[in-house]
Amino acid sequence: MDENKPVPKQEEEVKWYSYVALLFAIVFFSGILATSKEWYSVCDFTVLNGTFGKIAAANGKMLTFRGAGGNGAQDGFAFALSLLPAVIFALAVVNVVEGLGGLKAAQKLLSPLLRPLLGIPGACGLGMIASYQSTDAGAGMIKAMYNEGIINEDEKTIFAMYQFSGDGTITNFFSSGAALFSVLVTPIILPFGLIMIFKFFGANLMRMYIKYEHKKNGAKEAA
Amino acid sequence: MAEKKQDKNIIDLFIEGCRKGWDTGIRNMMPNVIMAFVIIKALNVTGLLKILGSVFAPVMALWGLPGEAITVLVSSFMSMGGGIGAAAGLLGSNVLSPKDITVLMPAIYLMGSLIQYLGRCLGTAEVNSKYYAIMVGIAVLNALLAMWVMKLLVVMY
Repeated sequence: MDENKPVPKQEEEVKWYSYVALLFAIVFFSGILATSKEWYSVCDFTVLNGTFGKIAAANGKMLTFRGAGGNGAQDGFAFALSLLPAVIFALAVVNVVEGLGGLKAAQKLLSPLLRPLLGIPGACGLGMIASYQSTDAGAGMIKAMYNEGIINEDEKTIFAMYQFSGDGTITNFFSSGAALFSVLVTPIILPFGLIMIFKFFGANLMRMYIKYEHKKNGAKEAA
Repeated sequence: MAEKKQDKNIIDLFIEGCRKGWDTGIRNMMPNVIMAFVIIKALNVTGLLKILGSVFAPVMALWGLPGEAITVLVSSFMSMGGGIGAAAGLLGSNVLSPKDITVLMPAIYLMGSLIQYLGRCLGTAEVNSKYYAIMVGIAVLNALLAMWVMKLLVVMY
């Protein structure tokens, strides 16, 4: 996975079109317009991703170029080939949204929520967004922020827990995950949203554990 | 860096993204998928997949999944791409249904690549190693709980 992209610099002004790009990305991958027969179904990933042409098999069944009944490395190759367009297309859209500042807009919206949701400073917003794109960048920023004294030991652990489960979320989900987008029986946004929610859930379990640990240690010292 | 990005118009960004997608697809997704397909083929030929399936059937039944789905979770633990490949392979051999895949999808990522991320995330961030075990535990718990929620969403949908 190309998880080594540069991270956006902090404190840049967020342009209006960045918010539009973010909103567009959410709608585009949500699948809410997928079944619409109107012109605006154009704003949907699966609609624009399209389908492969079908080939008639001897028994009258219609198959894609992958055929049916294959297995092993050969079928794996054919299958991977059939997934390639979705991966290329998904990452192209993610790149456009990112280039227009969509992630910076998300960062701006997220920062004020970090203290109540995770008990970590709003300044972690950049590291959080970075971790969606790149595991290594996100982790590097945790360390840098700790070294600069922006977060303490406990906040570092909570923030690391947040990143650890489902790390590199956007890059990973929209590259390897795109492979199975056409198979999903729900809109793409549902499993993705669930991953995002559970990342917060897991980090809060860690937060509770650390609190419990402090209590226990405190009790020990008092005794 | 930031200024250079501003110069790029939407078309440039799109094309650049396509190239990234091609690189990721060819260099990362395809090798993972081929490996997973070969492993599943090997498990099939040796009959191990059936054994795994029956051993884990009672566990995976908690999520309404066939026992073989355990291979998806174990592969995910090593790499997300491997988990996706395993899911795709089992879908191809009709062991897993599209509904099963949808239920597994959040878990593949929430407990995905944890082996790698011990080093790349927790190691880089210099998290106290006494927390490693509980953090892996929480990530796996995330995945297991998310499958139940996803199951519910699939039923509702």
